[in-house]
Amino acid sequence: MAANKNIPVTSSIRRWLLPCFALVFIATIAWTYQPDPIPMGPYQLVYPANFGNRINVPDDNPTTQQGVYLGRMLFYEPLLSANGKISCGTCHQQALAFTDGKAFSEGVDHTLTPRSSMSLANLLWARKFFWDGRSESLEKQAAVPMTNPHEMGQLMQTSAHKLMKTAPYPELFRKVFGDEGIDGPNIMKAIAQFERTLISANSKYDQYLRKQYQPTRLELQGLALFENAPQPAKSIRGANCARCHGGAKTYMELFHNNGLDSIPKDIGIAELTGLPGDRGRFKVPTLRNIALTAPYMHDGRFKTLDEVLDHYSDHVKRSESLSPFLRGESNEVNGKSLALKPEEKKAVIAFLNMLTDSTFVTDPRFSDPHQNIAKNK
Amino acid sequence: MKKHLMILFVALLSSAVAFAQAVKEATVKISGEVSAPFELKLADINQFPQTQVSRKDRDGKDHIYTGVLLSAILQKAGATMGKDLKGENLAKFASVEASDGYQVIFALAELDKEFTDRQIILATTIDGQPLAPTDGPFRVIVQDEKKPARCIKQVTGIKVAFAK
Repeated sequence: MAANKNIPVTSSIRRWLLPCFALVFIATIAWTYQPDPIPMGPYQLVYPANFGNRINVPDDNPTTQQGVYLGRMLFYEPLLSANGKISCGTCHQQALAFTDGKAFSEGVDHTLTPRSSMSLANLLWARKFFWDGRSESLEKQAAVPMTNPHEMGQLMQTSAHKLMKTAPYPELFRKVFGDEGIDGPNIMKAIAQFERTLISANSKYDQYLRKQYQPTRLELQGLALFENAPQPAKSIRGANCARCHGGAKTYMELFHNNGLDSIPKDIGIAELTGLPGDRGRFKVPTLRNIALTAPYMHDGRFKTLDEVLDHYSDHVKRSESLSPFLRGESNEVNGKSLALKPEEKKAVIAFLNMLTDSTFVTDPRFSDPHQNIAKNK
Repeated sequence: MKKHLMILFVALLSSAVAFAQAVKEATVKISGEVSAPFELKLADINQFPQTQVSRKDRDGKDHIYTGVLLSAILQKAGATMGKDLKGENLAKFASVEASDGYQVIFALAELDKEFTDRQIILATTIDGQPLAPTDGPFRVIVQDEKKPARCIKQVTGIKVAFAK
């Protein structure tokens, strides 16, 4: 600084003028220039350690940021349906934990789906998809509702053709899949990549497991009932929910006949296997965000969680294929049903409400990007 | 009247055909790191030597289960058992799956009689009777294991794989 003391003021200004000009010029360019908004590179799937690492990502479809970006666009893209009005997001709405609040969903031909739309959360760990587990990957699953004439009702080739003519898809597909371009398998791969990012891990229950939330007395009572199998001889009361819904993910990939009917109208996985023991057996759904995903069961027969609890407590119907753990489990000695008390049902529901993850259902990363684009225009 | 009878007959016949097609026989599919994968039917059980294992069930009573040693089934499928069960093959396991999606694993060495006297069988009868439909027709019975959790019911598949 001492060396600059003798320099005249005017010369100093002149010296600074040029860099300042250059700065203003660069800033102006940056302001008008639209930087590439598409993130590139591997996608970091972030989840709690207690969810375990038994994830299901096919070797030929690694998760990338650009793939997830494209998948999200496609998930909410009505062009993928025959009438241009239905997207995956129609039956899987974020605010309802990716269900549609209906027992059955209406397709392009105005018929109703035979089963209720499933909640989408923590699919990264799933290995069997649909109520009957017929698909072993999200990639294969995606093709079914898209091409089913009663759902989205459009051939994959037609979808690919429509996307080829719609900006920014040709460029986006090139960024994700290189020269392979737009085709059926790549549409499904991108959607699957997005669906794998739908990780819900911030409910009050997760916070409790992380020791960041102190449950109420009622919630704790509900948790104990949820986890315990009834043992009346030892005076242990239980609702036995964790038998199927236990663990940090409240989700185990099991298929059960939970006693909805003696003679089921929908025979569930028996339709695929032909085994008598599989009649009325359906996938055990996740309980994550369960308070948001009514109506319940594969056919949406129960409108409220109270009805669900009443079913398991008092109305399980016997049949040859009824799952063994629902036979004769009771809180009463020699009891025929679970026989939960009204306040116990209330406690279990209080715990189930702890599974609502409000950050998940409002996370902007999972919302409809087309709406955001429309809003910003 | 004749026409109605005819329609009724055709309807009955077609529903009988549909029922016959719908009901399949339960099998156990042996697959994975084996040289001769096969599908085991209930009728095939008799070609194997029968082994009996006694263990308590949920009712707290001892029951006699009869079936085939898992090692014998795996041997028939060409899995590395007996003298071949050494070196890297000791990093192999058998994953057993049930029709409800339940899955348990056994290290191959846990099943091999050169390693252990504990018998692990694929049972088909309990006290001389076929297993109950909710348990069978195939159920793994692990001798002397304290918890029944690996006595997996309604077995549909056994897959041999390397632990990675």
